[in-house]
Amino acid sequence: MDQPILEVSIDKSFGPTEVLHDLRFDVRPNEFLVIVGPTSCGKTTLGNILAGIETVSKGYVKMQGEPVNPHRHNISYVFQEPSCIPWYTMIQDVTMGPIIKGMDPAKADKRGREVIKLVGLEGFEDYFSRQLSGGMKQRVAIARAYATNPDLLIMDEPFGHLDAQTRYLMQIEIMRIWEQEKKTVVFITNNIEEATYLATRILVLTKLPATVKGEYVIDLPRPRELTDPEFLKLRTEITNDCECIE
Amino acid sequence: MRNTSERIKSVLYNLLSLVVVGCAWQLLSDWQKSPYFPSIAAIWQAFVNLSTNGDIEGITLSAHVWASLIRIFAGFAASCIMGIPLGLAMGLWPKLYNRTRAVIEPIRFIPPIAWIPMAIVLLVGFGRYVFLIWLGAFFPILVTTLLSVTRVNPVHVNVAKVFGASRMYIIRKIVIPSVLPDIATGMRVGLGVAWMCIVAAEMIGGEMVGVGRLILKYAELIRMGEIIVGMLIIGIIGFIMNEIFIVIENRVFRWRSEVSID
Repeated sequence: MDQPILEVSIDKSFGPTEVLHDLRFDVRPNEFLVIVGPTSCGKTTLGNILAGIETVSKGYVKMQGEPVNPHRHNISYVFQEPSCIPWYTMIQDVTMGPIIKGMDPAKADKRGREVIKLVGLEGFEDYFSRQLSGGMKQRVAIARAYATNPDLLIMDEPFGHLDAQTRYLMQIEIMRIWEQEKKTVVFITNNIEEATYLATRILVLTKLPATVKGEYVIDLPRPRELTDPEFLKLRTEITNDCECIE
Repeated sequence: MRNTSERIKSVLYNLLSLVVVGCAWQLLSDWQKSPYFPSIAAIWQAFVNLSTNGDIEGITLSAHVWASLIRIFAGFAASCIMGIPLGLAMGLWPKLYNRTRAVIEPIRFIPPIAWIPMAIVLLVGFGRYVFLIWLGAFFPILVTTLLSVTRVNPVHVNVAKVFGASRMYIIRKIVIPSVLPDIATGMRVGLGVAWMCIVAAEMIGGEMVGVGRLILKYAELIRMGEIIVGMLIIGIIGFIMNEIFIVIENRVFRWRSEVSID
């Protein structure tokens, strides 16, 4: 088996509230790991910790064998809330990562146009985020995350704010992108159908304080069919395991 | 974006309100028949007279306006130069504000007029004007700048952080652009307050020129026509400065006002 790209073993408390308890798992290269758990079980906190912008109370997050550090590791993060930078045009927004990481502006611009095309937004390069719809904004966030060619891509309920129709289209889209640009993805959600549709492997978290409750390897062929009996069986099994209320 | 007919309507209604107020004043003046309530014709006469022949000392209206504007911009510039960096610093390092607020907050509530005796004792000439105007504009600018920093969206900061951005990068590319519109609003409010302090400043400045001084001169003579001209000039110039500022704000912060295609 491949060396894990990310090794996680953490505890996290905010004051007296224990949010994550002895949470341990590995992430392997090129897998699409989906973490599901009930609402407000500390999933966003987990995402922030994996991205290196939140500290742990105990334990470690190691990326490629070293403690995770945004200055050293190439990580991208798609936030749950809308995160487009309002004073940037789309091209400025998606080239932000490459430029911070020291790419020269002409190359960054080229890469920016590539990823905008990848998410199907060509023609909108000079638009400000106010001019875009919710689904388009989230595509920009995904394009921005891909622009740095990350070794690890974390997505925290990226479609949580979208309506059901857009959400479904975005799931198809994210699968297409993942199959095109193989990346290691950690995808956090509370939607089990979404998890089963996307994942190569699913981790189920418990309620607060969250810890890993179950693990499912999903090897259904792609593209997956939401009404396929195999799919439904797995989905029901995970739903019963998870204390999610959908 | 408002459509053209809505814009024309708004101009017409504004003109109508002006006419209504003008008529009301004219009626009051006709009814009172007193020099305390000069007619619109008399006010216009005072305006023409002040513009062409100047005041009792021969200083023309444009000279008064020009002198006041120079004082305002000097005081306002001093407020911006001090208020914006200090506000930013206090927003970025909240301890700076928390540990000095016992000094800053009470001073903020002392009206500029109350500073007049102190200004007379401490300063002379142009410094007095600048000081009083600075007092008026400084606090609106400082406080809006300070508060704007606390309103920076943490997600925008985190976006840069995840990419490994330095603190300097985050301040330059995230914090400053996101606080600029608020600072501009603070500057606009500050400019308005500065302009409102002009009469107080010119009470003590010593020179006989300035729109505030013009009003004070004619107050001693109880000549209401010229006083009203001075008041209207202050009001109209304040209005124009505010409108110009809004136009500039909308230009500079185009990303805030662009229409959505949603």
